[in-house]
Amino acid sequence: MNNTVIENIRSSLGRTEQTPLSLRPAIYESRQPESVDSETEHFLEEVRKVSGVAQKLSPEGVAATLKSLVAENNILKATLWHSPLFERLGIESILRSLGVDIVSPTADKHDMALCDLGITGADYLLPETGTLVLRSSAEQPRAVSLLPRIHLAIVRPEMLRPDLHQVFAEAKDSHYLVFITGPSRTADIELTVTLGVHGPKNLYIWMLENR
Amino acid sequence: MSDDTHTYIGFEEYSEHVPPSIPSAVQQATSRFVDGRAARVAELPQWEQLRQIGSDIRLHTIENMDVYLTRLETAVQAAGGIVHWASTAEDARQIVLKIAKEHNVRLAVKSKSMATEEIGLNHALEAAGIEALETDLGEYIIQLAGTGPSHIIVPAVHLKKEEIAALFSEKLNIDAPADPIELARIARETLREKFLAAEMGISGANFLVAETGTLVIVTNEGNGRMCTTMPDLHIAVVGIDKVIPDWESLTVFLKLLARSATGQKLSTYTQFITGPRRAEGEFGPKEFHLVLLDNGRSKVLKDPVGREVFKCIRCGACANVCPVYKNVGGFAYGWFISGPIGAIFAPQMLGTPAARELPYASTLCGACADVCPVKIPIPTILRHLRRRVAQGDDFAASTMPAPIRITASLASLALAQNWIYRFGTRILPFFMRIFKRDSWIPSAPYPLSRWTKARPLPPFTASFRKWWNVRSAKAKPRAGTGTTSE
Repeated sequence: MNNTVIENIRSSLGRTEQTPLSLRPAIYESRQPESVDSETEHFLEEVRKVSGVAQKLSPEGVAATLKSLVAENNILKATLWHSPLFERLGIESILRSLGVDIVSPTADKHDMALCDLGITGADYLLPETGTLVLRSSAEQPRAVSLLPRIHLAIVRPEMLRPDLHQVFAEAKDSHYLVFITGPSRTADIELTVTLGVHGPKNLYIWMLENR
Repeated sequence: MSDDTHTYIGFEEYSEHVPPSIPSAVQQATSRFVDGRAARVAELPQWEQLRQIGSDIRLHTIENMDVYLTRLETAVQAAGGIVHWASTAEDARQIVLKIAKEHNVRLAVKSKSMATEEIGLNHALEAAGIEALETDLGEYIIQLAGTGPSHIIVPAVHLKKEEIAALFSEKLNIDAPADPIELARIARETLREKFLAAEMGISGANFLVAETGTLVIVTNEGNGRMCTTMPDLHIAVVGIDKVIPDWESLTVFLKLLARSATGQKLSTYTQFITGPRRAEGEFGPKEFHLVLLDNGRSKVLKDPVGREVFKCIRCGACANVCPVYKNVGGFAYGWFISGPIGAIFAPQMLGTPAARELPYASTLCGACADVCPVKIPIPTILRHLRRRVAQGDDFAASTMPAPIRITASLASLALAQNWIYRFGTRILPFFMRIFKRDSWIPSAPYPLSRWTKARPLPPFTASFRKWWNVRSAKAKPRAGTGTTSE
């Protein structure tokens, strides 16, 4: 297609197809990471600042903590990513034993929307902002962190990256990424902060401790 | 210039009809954002360095825009997306309508998008029998109310919770309480059904990454995710000025944007979308279209001073600190981008005849330039546009009323020729005596009446030179004694 938009831009800028690209200005240095422990603490602290509930957890503590989460939030239906970590932890069988219905993460969107809880992992974590970075695939469907009213992310310290630079260097070839920083929020009515307007109302993050 | 001839923007007249509830609501919002921004900026020692790099990269992108847009197109296509070029607003509307009709779309859900406001897409869709629903809570409210946005980040801030409750009760046929949390819950439930039912999602974008053909969308509520995840068809309508070179550049802009806009470190959700979904079960659209909108932008690029407006990342920080905006709110600017940035954007996009009042909607105090995360020299561009308005420009002749143009020419002559100036200062008091009442001038003839209808004018009493000479003569003996101590 003959592109008049590009032609007009070139004529306004006094450029031609042959005009070379000038050098892009240099970007600043990236943030330097601290020890894993302090990066972990920093991450959890930032999650709390944006109204998330964040805690460290040993793999043995998962069953009991999941039980109280289900009881406190009256969870009847849940959906979760396909993940080797979740299989090792036995998440699905723990939930079933608690009487929670499991909905396939690739189920129809209407079924997904009925879930109370969506459980995901994360691909990367950003300590400076308390951010989860999630890729998308058939194993990691986008709706799990979006449609249920509660989002639980079970993550590990290895996922921590010092800054956006490292995340982008590793993930920019991905066809879909989402950064999640706290639960869904709005201040559109009289500037009153309200959580859970379209996305999840609650965000729980469990950082599994390495043994 | 935009192809849709825009009605004249009468900023002065609109400002006179701003209800008092608007400035008070707007100021509550702006003061919160100003405080939040200040706190975030104080935490980041490299803030000024980031601003400079942000400014440099945006300028570099503007100057090489053809290269980056060509790269973007190739990358989006490689990712399986479909790129459309729209020279005009009408082109863009037709492209979207054609795609919608091909897919038998009856309901489209929309994430807040300035570009679709610019082209009036909602009207075009509705005329074609397609419901176009705004899903950002604030946008949803003003769509129900049938008004425009009063603030870029919180568009419905001028409405009280009681008014919103009445609106919901009437339009949704329910009994809505005047409670922000309950009202948000009602909107969530109402819109949730629409997200699941819609055949098409429409969005804008905060950035377009040329390197990989990636659309970056930043939201807090999650409606942006819903619109781009639930329907099988996603159309993004984006101005060509939103392109950035690569992901390294994005590290800079993501750090600048939320901090400047809402005082958050990052907004809740940032999506990076490169083409349609790859696997059946992952959710996301089967088909992805990107409509690249020119609508006059390529012409604006011709002006090396004015084109810096395209550095803008739409944070709204300039409006939050602007003494004019804080007193008139968003409506008075008569366009979808308001505040200082709107005052330099609209005249360039719509042409100076339609928006000639906007460059004057400023005190030139410079607060906007101080907070702009990409260092747009807004006061410089305002003055530049004032000159274009007064003298005419490449696109249109001067539309200044003759008395003002003549007065300005005379003033410019007098200020350039010393003897005329001195003569003027001698005769002025005699003219003023005609209008003087007590020690003020309560009303003066046009064009000075523009001042006196708001406040009286202090009369001109004596020339500064004369006053200075008298003062110096009196002060001399004292100054002499002062220096003896040294």
